[in-house]
Amino acid sequence: MKAVILAAGEGTRLRPFTNSEPKGMLPISNRPILEYVIKALAQNKIRDIVIVVGYHKERIMSYFEDGKDFDVKISYIVQKRRVGKIGTAYALSMAKNKIKDDFILLPGDNLIDAQTVSDAIKGNQKHKVVIVQSDIPSKYGVVELSSNVVRNIIEKPEEEISNLISTGIYKLPVSIFDDIEKVMKDGRYDMTSVLQSILAKKKIIAVTTKGTWQDIVYPWDIINVNSMALNNNESHTSGRIERNVTLKGSVSIGKGTIIRSGAYIVGPTKIGEGCEIGPNVTIYPSTSIGNNVRIGPNSVIEHSVIMSDVRIGATCHISNSVIGDGVEIGPQFCSTSRSGNIEMDNELHKVEHIGALIGERTMIGDQVSVIGGTIIGSNCDISSQKIISKEIPDNSSVI
Amino acid sequence: MCGIIGYTGPKAAKDILLNALKRLEYRGYDSAGIAVINDELNVFKDKGDIDHLINITPDFKGTQGIGHTRWATHGKPIKNNSHPFKGCKGKFAIVHNGIIDNFNELKDELMKEGHIFSSETDTEVIVHLLENYYEDNLEDAMKKVVKRLRGSYAIVAITTFEKDKVVGARMISPLIVGVGHNENFIASDVPAVLEYTNKMIYLLDEEIVAITSKGVEIQTFDGDPVERDWQKVDMTLDGAEKGGYEHFMLKEIFEQPKAIHNTLLGEVLNFDSYANSNHISNIKIIACGTSYHAGFVGKHIIENLAKIPVTVELASEYRFLADAGERPLVIAISQSGETLDTMTAVRLARRRGLRTMSIVNIVGSTLTRETDETFYTRADLEIGVAATKTYITQIIAMYILGIRFGRANGSLSPDRARRMINRLRDLPKQVKTILNNADNIKRIAEKIADSQSMFFLGRNINYPVALEGALKMKEISYIHAEGYPGGELKHGPLALITEKTPVIAVAVKDYTYEKMLGNIGEVAARGSPVVGIGNQSDKELKRYVDEVIPIPDVHYLFTPVLTSVVMQLLSYYVADARNCEIDKPRHLAKSVTVE
Repeated sequence: MKAVILAAGEGTRLRPFTNSEPKGMLPISNRPILEYVIKALAQNKIRDIVIVVGYHKERIMSYFEDGKDFDVKISYIVQKRRVGKIGTAYALSMAKNKIKDDFILLPGDNLIDAQTVSDAIKGNQKHKVVIVQSDIPSKYGVVELSSNVVRNIIEKPEEEISNLISTGIYKLPVSIFDDIEKVMKDGRYDMTSVLQSILAKKKIIAVTTKGTWQDIVYPWDIINVNSMALNNNESHTSGRIERNVTLKGSVSIGKGTIIRSGAYIVGPTKIGEGCEIGPNVTIYPSTSIGNNVRIGPNSVIEHSVIMSDVRIGATCHISNSVIGDGVEIGPQFCSTSRSGNIEMDNELHKVEHIGALIGERTMIGDQVSVIGGTIIGSNCDISSQKIISKEIPDNSSVI
Repeated sequence: MCGIIGYTGPKAAKDILLNALKRLEYRGYDSAGIAVINDELNVFKDKGDIDHLINITPDFKGTQGIGHTRWATHGKPIKNNSHPFKGCKGKFAIVHNGIIDNFNELKDELMKEGHIFSSETDTEVIVHLLENYYEDNLEDAMKKVVKRLRGSYAIVAITTFEKDKVVGARMISPLIVGVGHNENFIASDVPAVLEYTNKMIYLLDEEIVAITSKGVEIQTFDGDPVERDWQKVDMTLDGAEKGGYEHFMLKEIFEQPKAIHNTLLGEVLNFDSYANSNHISNIKIIACGTSYHAGFVGKHIIENLAKIPVTVELASEYRFLADAGERPLVIAISQSGETLDTMTAVRLARRRGLRTMSIVNIVGSTLTRETDETFYTRADLEIGVAATKTYITQIIAMYILGIRFGRANGSLSPDRARRMINRLRDLPKQVKTILNNADNIKRIAEKIADSQSMFFLGRNINYPVALEGALKMKEISYIHAEGYPGGELKHGPLALITEKTPVIAVAVKDYTYEKMLGNIGEVAARGSPVVGIGNQSDKELKRYVDEVIPIPDVHYLFTPVLTSVVMQLLSYYVADARNCEIDKPRHLAKSVTVE
C-alpha cells in the first residue's frame, strides 16, 4: 500500500514558528513532526510514500531526500498554488498519477504513531476515516455516526453536534480521485466536502484509535505535543558531562555537548548536539533543547521547547515557553507561566500554563520579563529591562 | 581529473557503471563510456555528459565492466578520444585518469609493431601494451605495462580471457577499492561506490589491485603482496540529491549553517584543553583556487589571533619557489585531498623537511596520508563544481587553528579565546539570517546580470573575499570579474571602470570602513553601479551606493564568513539569470588531479 502525506501548508496560525519553516518541519523532541508520520508508516511496512510539498518545499525535500535514511522510498509532488481556504482534496488530487491502488492519506503535521496507522489500514473496507474525541471539535471536521458508519461529516460546525472529529487520516480507494474531480467542479477543495458528497452511496467506516494523534494548531500546542513525544524519550548520553551533574529520568544528550558542573537535569529531557549547558543550570521536564544551544549559569528551564542556535544568558527563568531558532536572550530573563486568554484569529483562546512564545532570531536584552502567554515575533529587538505583556509583531524593536 | 570505475559481481554491470559515473561526473563531463564483458567485450562511448550516455547506451548484458567520464587533456573531447579503449583484437579494454608523459615514443614503438591506433589520446598506448605483455594473467601483464609508463595514472582494465576479474594500477592519480558483499569495485573516488558499500581500501602509489567478486588482492609494482584492511567511511550520499533546490550549488549554500555546526562540533569540546605548546615560528599556507582564498582569509585570522606570520602560496607556484631557508609549518588546503598541484607542493615541502598539516574534506584521501596532521572540515559531500560549503568550513578551520595556535603560544588570552569561540558558535545563525534574505540578493543579482564585466572590492580580511567573489562570478556566470583591494584601484584598474561595470564592494565596519567609502566614491563618481555589502546597523552606507546587502553585525574578524555567503548567492543568482549550467560550468571539474 502507498501513502500520500499532505505537507504543503503554510501553518499560518503557528506563526512566528512557521515564518521560515513549513509546519511539518516543526521540531518535536528535536525531530520534525513529519518524521513521526513517516516512521509510523515505515513501522507498518508502508514504504512507498508520496509527499505533497509546497511552502518551503526545499526544507522538507533536503531533509528527507529520497527516504533512504528513514527506510522508505519517498517521491515528491510540488503544489504550486493554493486553492480555497482548505485545499486538502486539491492537494491530494495532484498525486493522482502516482496512485494505482488503495492508499492511506495523512496530514504531515500531526503527531501519530504506528498504532494509529495500523488502525487506519486494517480490514477490507474501501473507505475508512480515523476519528478521535476532541475538546474543541469546532476546529475540525465533525463526524456523525450510526454504529461505525459515517452519516455526516461537517467542517468546523458552528453548532455542537458531537465531539468526534476526523483526524484527516483516511484509507481510500483510487476511485476517490474521480469523486474529488466532481466536488472541485463545484468550487470546493477540502476532503471533508469530498467525503460528504459520497457518503450516501459509499460506506465510510469510522475507526477510533488507541494510538497517538495530536494536532498542532496554535504555537502553545507545541509545548504539549513536545512533552507527549518526549514520553518515548530514551536516556542516552554523549559529549562531556562534568563532575557533580545530576541526571534523573530519561535524559538524552547529543554528541559534542558539554554539561557543566552542578547542572541538575530531570527527564524526560532531550538535549541536541554541540550545546553548552552552564554550571548549575536546572532543567525540569518535559523539555527539548535543539543543537548548538548555550545556556548560562544558574538558569532554570522548565517544560519548554528551545530550538537550535539559541543563546540564553545567566540566571534566566524560562517556563512553559517556546524559544525559536537563533533567539538570543540576555541575563536575568524571566518568563513565568500563567493561565489566561490569548487572542488569535480574532478569538480568545483559554490557555493553561503558558510562558513566552518567541520567534526566530529575536534578540532580547538584559533583565527582560515576558508575561505568560505573550507572543513575540521573529527578528525583533528588545532592549534591556523591558516588561513585555502585549504581542510584538515580526521585525519590531522595543526601545 | 576524469573519473573511472570498475565492477565485478552478480549484478548487471551496465547499471552500476552508469550510476557510479553519474556520481563521478563532477570530475569531468566532456565525454564518457563503459565497457562490459559478456563472452564478448562490448564498448559504448560518446561525447557528452552521463545523462546523454544513459539515454543512448543499449542494453549490455554482463556483470563485469569498467567506465570512464572524461575531462580532456590530450585530444579533443570527441567520441574517438573517449574511454574505454579496446586493443586491436578486441580482447582488452582499459580506462585511464592522468597523463602518460612518454606516450609519443611508446606509440611510435607500438605502431612499428603493427598496432593500430584509433585516437589522439595518450591513454591508448596502455591497452596496446597490455595486449603485448599478456600471457595468462592480467596483473602480471599490468606489472610489465607500468614499468614502461612515465607520468601520472590510475588505470582500470578488463580482458575477455579472465572472467570476473578487474585490475587497477595507481601512480599519483587517486584510486580506491570498494569492498562489497560478493561484489567489488575500483573507483577514482569514494562517492562513486558509496551507494553500494562504505568499506573502502585506499590504494597507494605504485600498487596494483585485482578484484574478483570474491576478493581483493593488492601488490606493489614489484610484485610484493600488500595486506591492507578496509576502512569504514562515515560520509553519506545526502548531498547527492538536489532536495528541492534548483541546483546542487544552491542546496549546498543553504547547507552551510549545518556544515559550520558540524565542523565546530568536533572541536568545541577540545577548546577547554588547548595548552599544547608547539613552537611555530611561521606558517605557509598552500592551496589552489577557492581553497587558496580560504587560506588567504586564514592568514588574517591566524596573524590576528596567534601573532604568527603567515604567507599564502598558490600550490602550482610554490613548487617552483626556491627554498628560502625558513622552517614554516606548511598547511595545505584541498577539498578533495587529491588536488595534484597541492599534493606536489606538499611533497616538495616534505622533501625540505618541513612539518605539514592538511585541511581536507574527504576522509582518507591522499593528502591526509601524506601530511603529519589533518584537520577535517565536515561539510559532507559537495557536488556543485563551484565550492561553497567546503570553502566556508575551510575558513572555520582557520579560526579553530588560529585559536589553537594562539592559546598554545600565549598570544591569545583565555578570555579572548572564549569570546572567539562564542562568536564562532553564533555563525550558523548569522549565516541563516543572510540565507533568509536571499530574495533581496536575487533581486540585485538580476539587475546586474547583463554586465560584461564586474569588479569586486574589499580590504584587509575582506580582500580575499573580493577575490573569491570574482572567482565565483567567473566560474559559473562566465562574466569577466576582477577582485581588487580597494586601495589598488587608483593604481591602474580604475581605467576600466565605466557606467557598465558594476562594482561589488565589501564595506563592513572595521578600521578600513572610511577608506572603503572613499574607494566607493572613486568608482561611483565614474558612474559605476555600486552594490555595497555592509553591516545591518550601518545606516550611512546606502548614501554611497546604489544597493545595500546587509550582513548581521559581527566582530570584523568573522565578517568573511558572512560576506562570502553574500558573494555566493550573488554569483549564483547572476548565473541563474543568465541560464548558465551552474553545477557543471564549462571546462571545469571539481577534483583537479592534473598539474
